[in-house]
Amino acid sequence: MKRFSLLLSVILAAALLLSACAKPAPTEAPIVAPPTEEPATEPPVASEAPAEAITLVVWDQYYRDVESQVMNTLNAEFEAAHPGVKIERVVKTLDDLKVTLKLALAEEDGPDVAQVNQGRSDMGAMVEAGLLLPLNDYMSTFNWGERFSASVASRNSFTEDGKTFGSGNLYGVSPTAEVVGVYFNKTLFEANGWTVPTTFEEFEALLATIKAAGVTPISFGSLDGWNAIHEFSAVQHLLVSLDYINNFTYGVNNVSFDIPENQQAAAVMQDWVDMGYFTDGFAGIGYDDSNKTFKAGEGAMTITGSWMTGEFLTDTDQEFGFFLLPGNPGQTRLAIGGVGVPFSIRKTTAQPDLAAEYLDWMISPRAAELWAGVGMLPAMPMAADANVEVDPLFTDTMNAWNTINAENAVGHYIDWATPTFYDTIVAELQKLFGKVTTPAEFTAAVQADYAAFLSGN
Amino acid sequence: MDHQQRWPGESRYKGWFYLLPGLLIYLVFIFIPILETIRNSFYKWNGFSNTREFIQLDNYAKLVHDAQFLKALGNNFIFIIFYSLIPILIGLFLATLLGRKPIRGLTFFRTGLFLPQILSMVVVGVTWRWIFNPTFGLLNTGLRAVGLDNLTRAWLGDFQLALPSVGMVGTWVMYGFCMVLFLAGMQRIPEDQFEAAELDGANGFRQFFHITLPSLRAEMGVALITTVIAALRVFDLVYVTTRGGPGDSTLVTGFLVYRSAFQQNQLGYASAIATIMTVLILVISLLILRFQSRGEE
Repeated sequence: MKRFSLLLSVILAAALLLSACAKPAPTEAPIVAPPTEEPATEPPVASEAPAEAITLVVWDQYYRDVESQVMNTLNAEFEAAHPGVKIERVVKTLDDLKVTLKLALAEEDGPDVAQVNQGRSDMGAMVEAGLLLPLNDYMSTFNWGERFSASVASRNSFTEDGKTFGSGNLYGVSPTAEVVGVYFNKTLFEANGWTVPTTFEEFEALLATIKAAGVTPISFGSLDGWNAIHEFSAVQHLLVSLDYINNFTYGVNNVSFDIPENQQAAAVMQDWVDMGYFTDGFAGIGYDDSNKTFKAGEGAMTITGSWMTGEFLTDTDQEFGFFLLPGNPGQTRLAIGGVGVPFSIRKTTAQPDLAAEYLDWMISPRAAELWAGVGMLPAMPMAADANVEVDPLFTDTMNAWNTINAENAVGHYIDWATPTFYDTIVAELQKLFGKVTTPAEFTAAVQADYAAFLSGN
Repeated sequence: MDHQQRWPGESRYKGWFYLLPGLLIYLVFIFIPILETIRNSFYKWNGFSNTREFIQLDNYAKLVHDAQFLKALGNNFIFIIFYSLIPILIGLFLATLLGRKPIRGLTFFRTGLFLPQILSMVVVGVTWRWIFNPTFGLLNTGLRAVGLDNLTRAWLGDFQLALPSVGMVGTWVMYGFCMVLFLAGMQRIPEDQFEAAELDGANGFRQFFHITLPSLRAEMGVALITTVIAALRVFDLVYVTTRGGPGDSTLVTGFLVYRSAFQQNQLGYASAIATIMTVLILVISLLILRFQSRGEE
């Protein structure tokens, strides 16, 4: 008897492992949208309340406090302008959203509007599975071409089969923009007489000076993995051309990762590790923890994206500034940048027009104003008469974004390149930073992932 | 059910109806998903599109040559040391300390030592991640406070130390379970056996090896099976602390399943890993069971 119950518990425990990743099989018949006779989405006259309220389900990933408030304001104003429409907001972290959204969008009652992460493994896979509505018609209806450039649109575009990234149909619109650069502690800089460098050479000289003064030059923590990509790629962007980074990210024209420029950037990383320019024990520190200590005044600089501006403005007695990682004279200086996670529409939604109006509202001048108000870079222009009180730090990041736009120097998040690229490069970067591999071994290992993807495409 | 206990005319199958509700839940939430997972492992499928391709055993063939899978599997076996062997030894030791002679505050110690077991793994992971933090974590701060600065490390980011560090967290969670199991088992041993041994001049060590240990065989089997399974299917702890890093030094198969299924859209491949791991767990558990029951005979 005991044996039997033991055996049973073994089977049960093993079963849990299996059932954890089981999913229902796809239905045999493709999901067909019910025919919808949607009335015009012009707001009805406010006095006559509609018989039945329309609910628009929206999934977003603005879970941080200030961001969440912006979304609540925008939703309330949208509801006010559309009597009878109710926004049902579901907030998730990006990680959580990525895992659950694909299944939810395949459901008849899934979210009407959702934020879909860019890149092949998310937006590309969902386009391929026929889950997202092409937005080309709405783009001309609402004149979105005036709000974002072609370069921005291509980041949210795929061909209809989901195979080719960067061209084809538009599947999402992004409310915010991002640029990766250097946050520096103004308080520390002023106290020590350090100045913002204008060339990469000056930047490295500054690192040495700061180190000599007994301060950690670059606050950094690579335990979570992903931000190590920005560290490496920010330097990589100073060395490669825009054509290269475009080709590489969109997987066209057969470029390689195993090139001298990438090896050089990798060598710079190891050099910085050797010189002790990063936080002591950075390999065991998470991203949030690293930023917390930076905010508290430890470390002179940190290399990360403009999304941290709001964070660096609150709960701190230090003053921070932002500059783009300076390039080499006579060479194009690119910067990692792009637009934030875009809003997309579920292909089978019963309210495509209303959903499109919602998207339009998400990238309206009003939204731009609200995002700027909390220190987030809006991807679309603000109204000329917008009255937003902004902090000098926000002006710094805004200027950086405007600069790389004006110079056509907006680079890419290279982890979009293949579905497995993120996991590969994170593991390989940890080995590089841990001096387990050489720069040449690093680029070769990453190229192996990239080549496998290109040959299988 | 035995013939004599049945009323005349009563169906011999009636007993099964009492099982029905539980059986239904088991079928819907455990058994059917298992079959579905096994089926998925023969397909190339991203997990949500309407088309999938039948590729027979290709996923399994790929698995055998996947260096990452082999590395992860190796790590799982190292986790057995931390999840199973060390906790059983500590559990035995503590149970012997607390079990034989009544000591003051026994309940307090027992509860305190068992506490890690009832905490959620995510809570445990987050807490230990904080303890291991190189800058302000308890461990390095403590080492610095007593002048052992040269022993401080980036624990979770160190290629040599990350796996043992995560493993020790597993030990911390598991030993309480083993201890309680062994404590319960010891209370079953008749006291006169020890008295007799003592009269015959057996010291504490000999009593332990000749009375306590053999009597705990059944508990040992339960502890081994439970902890070995936990070691082979570990996911939450790795997910919260290191995500398999640095490099792939803490990668385990459970994390590989998650990554393949949900991040890289290879549900078929992930299902193949899960199926292999389930078979492996079954085989190992059956071996332990056989070993244990052979000793009982």
